[in-house]
Amino acid sequence: MTHRGSSPPQTSYSAFERFFRAEYPVVVRIAFGVVGDAQAAQDVAQDVFISAFRRFPDPGDTDQARAWVRAAAAHTALNAIRGERRRDRRQRLSGIEVAPVGPEETVLDRESRAEVRRALSRLPRRSATVLVLRHNGLSYAEVAEAMNVKVGHVGTMLRRAESALRKELQNASRA
Amino acid sequence: MRHVPSPVLRRLVDEPMAVPDRDRRHLTGCDRCQAESSKVAASAAVASRLLAAPPDVAGVADVDLEWIMLQERLREPGTPGRPVVHVPRRMPRRVVTLGTGTAVAAGVVALGVGAAAALNSIYAPTHVAPVTVSPADLAAVENIAGLSGAQLSGGLPPSGSRQLAFGELSWTSAGAPRQVSSIARASALTHLAFSAPATLPAGVGPASSIAVAPQVTATVHFNASAGPTIGGSTLEVTAGPGIVVQYGSRTGSDGLTTLAIAVMARPVASSTGATASQLEAFLLSRPGLPRGLAQELRMLGSPGTTLPVPVPSGMSAQQLNIGGAPAVLITVPSGVASGVVWESRDGMVHGVGGLLNSGDVLGVARQIG
Repeated sequence: MTHRGSSPPQTSYSAFERFFRAEYPVVVRIAFGVVGDAQAAQDVAQDVFISAFRRFPDPGDTDQARAWVRAAAAHTALNAIRGERRRDRRQRLSGIEVAPVGPEETVLDRESRAEVRRALSRLPRRSATVLVLRHNGLSYAEVAEAMNVKVGHVGTMLRRAESALRKELQNASRA
Repeated sequence: MRHVPSPVLRRLVDEPMAVPDRDRRHLTGCDRCQAESSKVAASAAVASRLLAAPPDVAGVADVDLEWIMLQERLREPGTPGRPVVHVPRRMPRRVVTLGTGTAVAAGVVALGVGAAAALNSIYAPTHVAPVTVSPADLAAVENIAGLSGAQLSGGLPPSGSRQLAFGELSWTSAGAPRQVSSIARASALTHLAFSAPATLPAGVGPASSIAVAPQVTATVHFNASAGPTIGGSTLEVTAGPGIVVQYGSRTGSDGLTTLAIAVMARPVASSTGATASQLEAFLLSRPGLPRGLAQELRMLGSPGTTLPVPVPSGMSAQQLNIGGAPAVLITVPSGVASGVVWESRDGMVHGVGGLLNSGDVLGVARQIG
C-alpha cells in the first residue's frame, strides 16, 4: 500500500513531445530509406531523438531543430549501414562466401537492398545524405535547410550523387 | 546557345515550377538538352526506386508507443538533461480487441482489469480468484465506473475522463494496441518476456498476430460527496503493458483464431489517503451495485492481494494450479471454448484461451507456467 501526500509532478517533456510527434514520421522514413528495415529505422529514430533532446530540450517550432533531426536521421542510419559494411569486409577476409552480385539491372530487378546499402555506404557522406533526404520526401528547400547549403546547390549535389550511386552499383555488378 | 545545366535539369524532374521559364522553353527545342534530361530523369528514377521508403512506412510505427519508449530512455540515469519526472508504474493494460476465438481469454483478462480498477482499491494482487458476474452485474459496474461495456472490452480512447457520482475518473495510455512483426519486437517494446509454447494443440496453426498494448494509468479523484474518509483522496491504478499473440488454424481457413496467449504486468494501485479497506467498503456500498456481486467480492477476502476474474454466469469455473500458482479455468457449456487465467510468482498475469477444450488450454498453459 502506498500513500502519497500529493499528486506526482508532471513530466516536463511536453514541448519536446510536440516536436517529436511532428518529426517522427519524417525521421523514420529517412532512416528506412537507408537501412531498409522498419524496426531498424525505428531504432535509428529513437537514437536521433535522444540526441535531439540533449540539443533542443525545448525545440518549439524552430527550423534549426527540424533540420537537425532530419540530417541526423540520415547520418545515424548511414553510420548503421557502415557497420554492416565492416562486417561484410570481415566476412570476406575470413573467407566466408559473399553472395554474388549480378549486373545492375538484375540488382535493380531483385531490389537487393543489401547491395544498395553497400553502395550507399561507399558514397561520400554528403552525397549519400542528399540522396536519402530528397528521395524520402524532403523538398529542395528542406534538403538545403537540413544540409545547410543553398537551395540552388541541391540540384548539383543530387545530380552528382545519383550518378555516383549508379556507378557504385555498376562497379559492384562487375566485381 | 546556352544549354540547360544538368542540376537544373535535375530539379526539373522534382520541382518543375522552380525552373526558370527560359530553361523550360530552351528544353522544348533542344535535342541535346532533351537527351541529357532523359538521362538525368532515369538516374533520378533509379535512385528513387532504390532509396524511397514505402509510403506507409511511418504508419508502421506507433508514435504513441515510440514516445513512451523515448521518455523511458530519457529517464535512464546518465541521460544528460533529463528532467526530474514521475515514473509511472507498470499497470494493467487494456486488452487488445481480439477475434471471436480469443474472446474467452481476452474478456476474462480485460474484465478482470476493469473490475480491479473499479472495485479493488490499493493493492498488488498475488493471485486470481473467480467472481461470477451476470450481465446485470456488468452493467452496474459499468454504470458506476462511467464506462460502457464496449469501451471495457474494445478499448478506451488513449486518454479521457469521466465524471462519476463521487469524483472524476481520468485515464491515460500510450495509445491504442498495435500489431508488431515479431515476439522479439513485442518484448523490446514492453520489456515483457513472452514464453511461446513448444507444442501447440492439434488444429492450431502458427502465430497469426502479435500485438502489444501500452501502459495505462487510471486515476480517481474522490470529491466531497465520497464522504469524509475517502473524499479528497486520489486512487491511482496502473497496469500493463501487455502482449497478446494469436494463433490461426492449421488449415489457415478464413483467418480463424484458434488460440490466444496474453501476458501483462499485474495491476497495482496506490492512494493518497484512503486505505484498502476503506476504499473497498466505499466501492462495495455504491448504490446500484448488486448485492450478490458485492457479497461475492467481500467473500474473496484479502482485497489488497486478490485479482478477481469475472466468470460470466452460465459458464463453468474451476480453480486449479498452473506452475504452483492459483488459476481460474473457465469453460463454455458446450466445451468448445475455454480459457485460463493465472498470476505467476513474478507478478505477471497470464491468459490462455481459444476454441479449444479445457485439456488443450491447460496443456498450453502448463508449458508457459
